[in-house]
Amino acid sequence: MKKKFLLLNLTTILISSLFVISCSKEYSEVIDYNKEYKIISGGSLINAMAGEPSNLIAMIAGDSASSQIAGNIFNSLIKYDENLNYAPDLAESWEISKNQKTITFKLKKGLKWADDRPLTSSDVLFTWKLITNPDTRTPYASDYQLVKKASAPDPLTFRITYESSYAPALDTWTSLHILPKHILKNEDINNTFFSRKPVGSSYYKLKEWISGQQVTLEANEKSISGAPLIKKLISRIIPDTSSQFLELTADNIDLMNINPIQYQRVFPARTDLQEKIELYKELGNGYTYLGFNLKKEPFNDIKVRQALNYAIDKDEVIKGVLLGLGEPISSPYKPGTRWNNPNLNPYPYKPSRALKLLKEAGFKKNDNGQLMRDGKPLKFEIITNQNKQREMTAVVIQKRLQEIGVEVSIRVIEWASFVNRFIKTGDFDVVVLGWGLSLDPDQYNIWHSSQQGPGQFNFLGYSNKNVDRLLELGRKELNISKREKIYHKFSKYLLEDSPIVYLYAGYGLSAVHKRVKGIKNPAPPAGIYHNNYDWFIPNPLRRNEISAR
Amino acid sequence: MRIFLKNPLALSGLIIILTILILALVAPIIAPYDPNFIDINSILFPPSINHLMGTDGLGRDVFSRMLYGAQISLLVGFVAVGIATFIGVILGSLAGFYRGWVDSLIMRFVDIMLSIPTFFLILAVIAFLTPSIWNIMIVIGLTSWMGVTRLVRAEFFSLRQREYVLASETMGSNHFSIITKHLLPNSLTPIIVSSVLGIASAVLVESGLSFLGLGVQAPTASWGNILTDGKEYIQFAWWLSLFPGLAILITVLGYNLLGEGLRDILDPKNKN
Amino acid sequence: MLIGISLVSFFIMHLAPGDVTSTEASFNPRASEESRQKLRELYNLDKPVIIQYGLWLKRIVQLDFGNSFASHQKPVLWEQKDKSGNITKGLIQESLPITLMINLIGICIIFSISIFLGTLSAIRQNSWVDRSITLLVFIGFAIPGFWLALLLMYWTGVSNQWLPISGLHSLGYQNLSNFGQFIDLLKHLILPVSISSLSGLAGISLYVRNGMLDILHQDFITTARSKGLKETKIVFIHALKNAILPLITIVGLSIPGLIGGSVIAESIFAIPGMGKLFYDSVLMRDFPVIMGILTIGSFLTLIGNLLADIGYAWADPRVRKGLVK
Repeated sequence: MKKKFLLLNLTTILISSLFVISCSKEYSEVIDYNKEYKIISGGSLINAMAGEPSNLIAMIAGDSASSQIAGNIFNSLIKYDENLNYAPDLAESWEISKNQKTITFKLKKGLKWADDRPLTSSDVLFTWKLITNPDTRTPYASDYQLVKKASAPDPLTFRITYESSYAPALDTWTSLHILPKHILKNEDINNTFFSRKPVGSSYYKLKEWISGQQVTLEANEKSISGAPLIKKLISRIIPDTSSQFLELTADNIDLMNINPIQYQRVFPARTDLQEKIELYKELGNGYTYLGFNLKKEPFNDIKVRQALNYAIDKDEVIKGVLLGLGEPISSPYKPGTRWNNPNLNPYPYKPSRALKLLKEAGFKKNDNGQLMRDGKPLKFEIITNQNKQREMTAVVIQKRLQEIGVEVSIRVIEWASFVNRFIKTGDFDVVVLGWGLSLDPDQYNIWHSSQQGPGQFNFLGYSNKNVDRLLELGRKELNISKREKIYHKFSKYLLEDSPIVYLYAGYGLSAVHKRVKGIKNPAPPAGIYHNNYDWFIPNPLRRNEISAR
Repeated sequence: MRIFLKNPLALSGLIIILTILILALVAPIIAPYDPNFIDINSILFPPSINHLMGTDGLGRDVFSRMLYGAQISLLVGFVAVGIATFIGVILGSLAGFYRGWVDSLIMRFVDIMLSIPTFFLILAVIAFLTPSIWNIMIVIGLTSWMGVTRLVRAEFFSLRQREYVLASETMGSNHFSIITKHLLPNSLTPIIVSSVLGIASAVLVESGLSFLGLGVQAPTASWGNILTDGKEYIQFAWWLSLFPGLAILITVLGYNLLGEGLRDILDPKNKN
Repeated sequence: MLIGISLVSFFIMHLAPGDVTSTEASFNPRASEESRQKLRELYNLDKPVIIQYGLWLKRIVQLDFGNSFASHQKPVLWEQKDKSGNITKGLIQESLPITLMINLIGICIIFSISIFLGTLSAIRQNSWVDRSITLLVFIGFAIPGFWLALLLMYWTGVSNQWLPISGLHSLGYQNLSNFGQFIDLLKHLILPVSISSLSGLAGISLYVRNGMLDILHQDFITTARSKGLKETKIVFIHALKNAILPLITIVGLSIPGLIGGSVIAESIFAIPGMGKLFYDSVLMRDFPVIMGILTIGSFLTLIGNLLADIGYAWADPRVRKGLVK
């Protein structure tokens, strides 16, 4: 009996505390978020992440949560500026030798780690040795293994020499986070406390990491670039996006990525949200495509591929799935950048043209309106991974293809199975997937015919001698305008061959609470996060925090 | 039927289940639209005369999708429970009839399966085998037979000692016919009740899997995935989550009321 | 028993196509197959299944569950100290207490409410009170948990701001007093605990109801009645005691269900418990963690059952006497 009373008591406590809490809310005054405010430092910014970072050493991690946080802690030698040109980061300047094989980086003077130790070229050399060490479990080594020789002749100089000229070289040095030698020299990089207690050199340093709940960064006063305005970056881990959105509307987080429906429908309908939340849109870093298994009938036939390309209404996909928040593309490069060939246009939606091409390829409609060849219907399965937008895209495409008599089924598969059971074995018909719109135009890994092995990226089995040659040339050519021509030509071949149907490059959509000021709108090419150290939160707009007493 | 009338909860359960069964069966006739018909000019329309339950993110008619979803949700329930009952009856009969080491072996296995968190098991298997409607039904079936096994075994234990069973055994009837002619028909009540309750759980498990992205996959509509689609817009497109949510609630409730009602009605203790 | 559990878990593990090297991170244009092969060798994934099982079993016996693949060598079970004295906590060590806490509170709530409702139903058998209680607990069981959770989060967190929406702690909770921290945690737990206990009410309260009905019809109650004892005394002292006795065994049996059900609640409320950990590990093909959780989860159930048996023996006078003899 006693036990039972104990239980009842617990319940009563829980229930009564609900009432206590419900009475304790205080209403604050109405705040004007749209006023001009003076730039001021301090305050904290809270954002939401769906997953917990796995490891803050970026070369070993690789998930987006980890790289997002590590990016605020570590520097690379160079970086992209807001217009996506190379800009100094740890290196003040760099010089490419006449034969185009050697790059010499000059570091800035007085660089320091967050623990006050000097940061020198020996740290850079150490990092290069680390990533090219065969014992390091990193998927990113291959770029840096092309460096034949690396040296640090003096504390401010770092020099690398490639076997032959390598055009994407500078791009690769924008993404390699420089790690501190003095801490890591005796550590096993694959299994070190450093991955959860990093010491970096950038604007922020790690303050606290509560597993599964939040990661808190605070301003690194030792940073060479000066301290950021916002003193604390708190990333809360909230797996479910609907919960994230509820937190945003309740003012509990300042920043999250939203989807097209929230952007186009929910916000316009909710003036209360518009008053306190600003929306940003920027062209994302990836595109979505429909890819054919080129080793399989009937997709080995260029006419079939082109026909299906004509039969897919890309505008409808963009309007239906992205509510218009996407751009059609016709090359694997960001529209508006130099690598994008402006003379190319996507295949227009022309079902009649599609049917004509399919007829040429030997397909005839039977009495049921099905397209048949040699007694077999034109029928295939689209597979995609668990991604709401890709799934919806496949559904829209399915409908259009069925209209011209192509039988399409859809299968949505969780990522790990997707890669192993279908991609690596080549056991698929058609995929809906995405590739990155990389800043360097090199697409060797994806389209060169030598890259078709299991687990390599030309899993569609694309092979075109002209494209191979252009890709090899493009890697070696350092002259930008010559390089541009090479990749414009490459894009033309790729579009004609139609191994993939370019569907769209979607916009990245962010919702940021209006208490955060200093964000560039419209977003520069490098995106809104580009200058997050210049963001600030005016005093009156700061969240009430429980303060130390 | 008269007994049903005395038990209003069981009656309402029966009515709910019959209504939903009929709706699911006649879905192709009464659905105003093709459940997969996309109309990008009517994305997220609220309920109206044209679209009784509004439209979803691709402009598809939610009412039609709900009707077809009913077929899927019921199918998942029936097949999963069918599998579970089949396995449960066989293993339970074996254990209850032969006893001895057969019984202890089977019961050991039951204990093992019971002590592993079932939902974890389902989650792992479905993720590994790639989610498809058949995999979902099979896995739910394979992980929920333990209850039936125990019930059948217990019934057999008590029935085995009855005179007519002993009589037919001495008369040399083979084991199979004793089990199917005498033992099983007399253990039907608990099997039926637990099957009806099992269907209710299977429908819920499907919606839970949908929430985690491991449920019935697009473009097939199930209540679980319509509800999951709608959860993002709970404050805005309320119709996307309200209707499937209520449908699941009412159906599961119906099965539960029916199952418990049947238990009361068929229980010999309550006969008088 | 444990060997059986580990066999079942291990069998499931090998239904899986792919391994940890195939997660999103590795599908990067600049990653090579060699580096993936290297990973596979490091994790023994290239060895035959039997040998993997043997190696695994050998370590389990020493309570060594290994280290996680996906979250970069975090220990699966318990904290490890490296040579410089930095402590890395174990994944299960971090998440199990949270899940246990929620479920224990949940069990307490389920049982206390169920005993109350079940008894009420039984003494008013077939009245409207009985029927509405049955209906209510069934509705609680039938409502899809994540839907109700979102509705409640919206109602209590956004439109009214009574309760926090997700997570376990408020911002800056470290600065609160101990009592403040406790209240803060309690506030965060109200919604998740209510959601996860709601579905358990139906089963237990019906169990209590039917148990009570059985007992109320038994001879000793009739005798008590004929002796002229007050009805309330009969119900609450004699009958209830006997009716809730079998519940003790149910506590043990309900543990796996509760732990399993925590996946959804933990995902939606952003609670870093074992359910969420399991789900993430499944998606990442993080076999050591999956195996660890299945084993520990089953182990907990065994302990729960054992405790329940002991509790039952202690509470049931018939068994207790038997023990003394």
